[in-house]
Order: sequence, then structure tokens, then C-alpha cells
Amino acid sequence: MSLLHPLDDFELWFWSAMLGGTNAVNVALHMAQVTPAESAFPSQPGVYHVPDENAAGGHRAVLQSLGDVLHVGRPPIQGPVPDDVQRMMHAMEIIESHRDPCTRGESEPTADIVAQCQAAYAECLGLLRKRLAEVPA
Amino acid sequence: MNPTLHFQKAQRIERSLAKLPAHLVEIRIEAAMLAATHWLNASLHALHANGESTDVLHTYMLTVNEFRRLSAAHQALMEMVAEIEDLRPVNVRGDTPGAEAAAERACELLARVRGMAQAIGAQVHSG
Repeated sequence: MSLLHPLDDFELWFWSAMLGGTNAVNVALHMAQVTPAESAFPSQPGVYHVPDENAAGGHRAVLQSLGDVLHVGRPPIQGPVPDDVQRMMHAMEIIESHRDPCTRGESEPTADIVAQCQAAYAECLGLLRKRLAEVPA
Repeated sequence: MNPTLHFQKAQRIERSLAKLPAHLVEIRIEAAMLAATHWLNASLHALHANGESTDVLHTYMLTVNEFRRLSAAHQALMEMVAEIEDLRPVNVRGDTPGAEAAAERACELLARVRGMAQAIGAQVHSG
């Protein structure tokens, strides 16, 4: 993100925040044992690519109900989620709300949108850092 | 969105992509996907395959029927954007070795998509 200007490079600056924040949420969901930490990478809700040395490209697609989220809400998380992780997810929803209008559509990114995304991203990562700091050494 | 705005968005994203070093593979693949999708949408509008109120978000979100219809408008563009999309699960969301090569491939495909989209745009304007 630091290589990109928040307004001049908005699309990729924004997308970096979205990717980073979503990874942070997935870390927190693994730590809270809500989703499994495993080598299964989503292509769409319910479909994950898992290592398979016999498959073309070294992975094959399998159906799986639980795993990493692609975006917060895709897929929705079933079951109880700790309060701090819910707050992380809420912060990501703020970021996600600007995704399609500003990267796909005609909405012009503004300084206010940048500020909202920066604050939400900082909150999301701050909550993850707190969670990581509380892990016994 | 109209073809001119799609062109502008794609060019903006590609300008930003050019600032990124090779090892930032995740965002380079995502940038290729985003820009290529804008080039694809501009082309589909120019070819009258889709109206300006209908944009492709991701090729894998299309119904099989719709994927086939849009492939009839321009098969190579649809296939190249789909190939970029297919690089994402393992190389953007995964931690698999080889992601740098995947990012290079995504950028190569983007360059070809751009070339085709620009040719379609020029043909439409001259015709």
C-alpha cells in the first residue's frame, strides 16, 4: 500500500487494503478456531483448491463448507464469532462498501472515502495485533 | 458503464500496476484481473454484446449460458480474462511457490487483452 498514492492509485491502494484486511480476518478466524488453518484456497463460496500432486497445476477444486472467506460475508460465517473478530469484520464491511462503486463503477474516490478506508483498515489490523499479542509465548 | 470510462479505469489501474515490483504477486494478479475486466467490458459494449448497464464482474460468476453467449462475441478475450481469474485462488489466496510466474503470466495476458480491446475500440470508431 505504501508504494501507492491513496487517490492517484485508488483502485490498487484500495484493493491492497481489502486483501490485507481479509487476510487479517482469516487469521483471526483461525486463531478463534472458527475456521480451519489449512491449505485450502477459495475460488468462490463453498469451492476450495487443495494440493493434489496428480492434478494439473498441483491443485484440485473440492466442495467444502468451512474455510477462508473470500470477502467478509462470502461465505457468511456460521456459529459464534468472538466480539473482537466481529469488530474486524465490521471494519472490513466499511472498506468493502466502497469496492464496486469505486473500482468497478463510476464513483469518484474522495479524500473522505480514503479516510474511512484508512481508519477501518487500521482498526482491523489493530484488533489482530492485539489478538496476536495475547497469544501465550 | 460506457466504454470510454472502462478504458480510463483500465489505464489508471495499469499505471498503478507499473509502480509495483515483481515480488508483490498478489496485488499484481489482482490488478491484472481488474484492468482486464475493464478492457473486456469496454469491448463487450463496443461489440454490442452487452449494454452499458450490464458489466461482467467476474467471468466465473456468469451462467454457462451467458459465458457462451459472450464468448460468441469474442472468445479469445473471454478465455484470457478467465485464465487470469483462475490464477487467483492458489496464487493470491494461497501460499504456493510459483506465484511470481503466475503474476508474470497475468500481466502477459493483460497486455494481450489490452491490445485486443484497443483494436476493437479503434475498429468501432473508424467504422
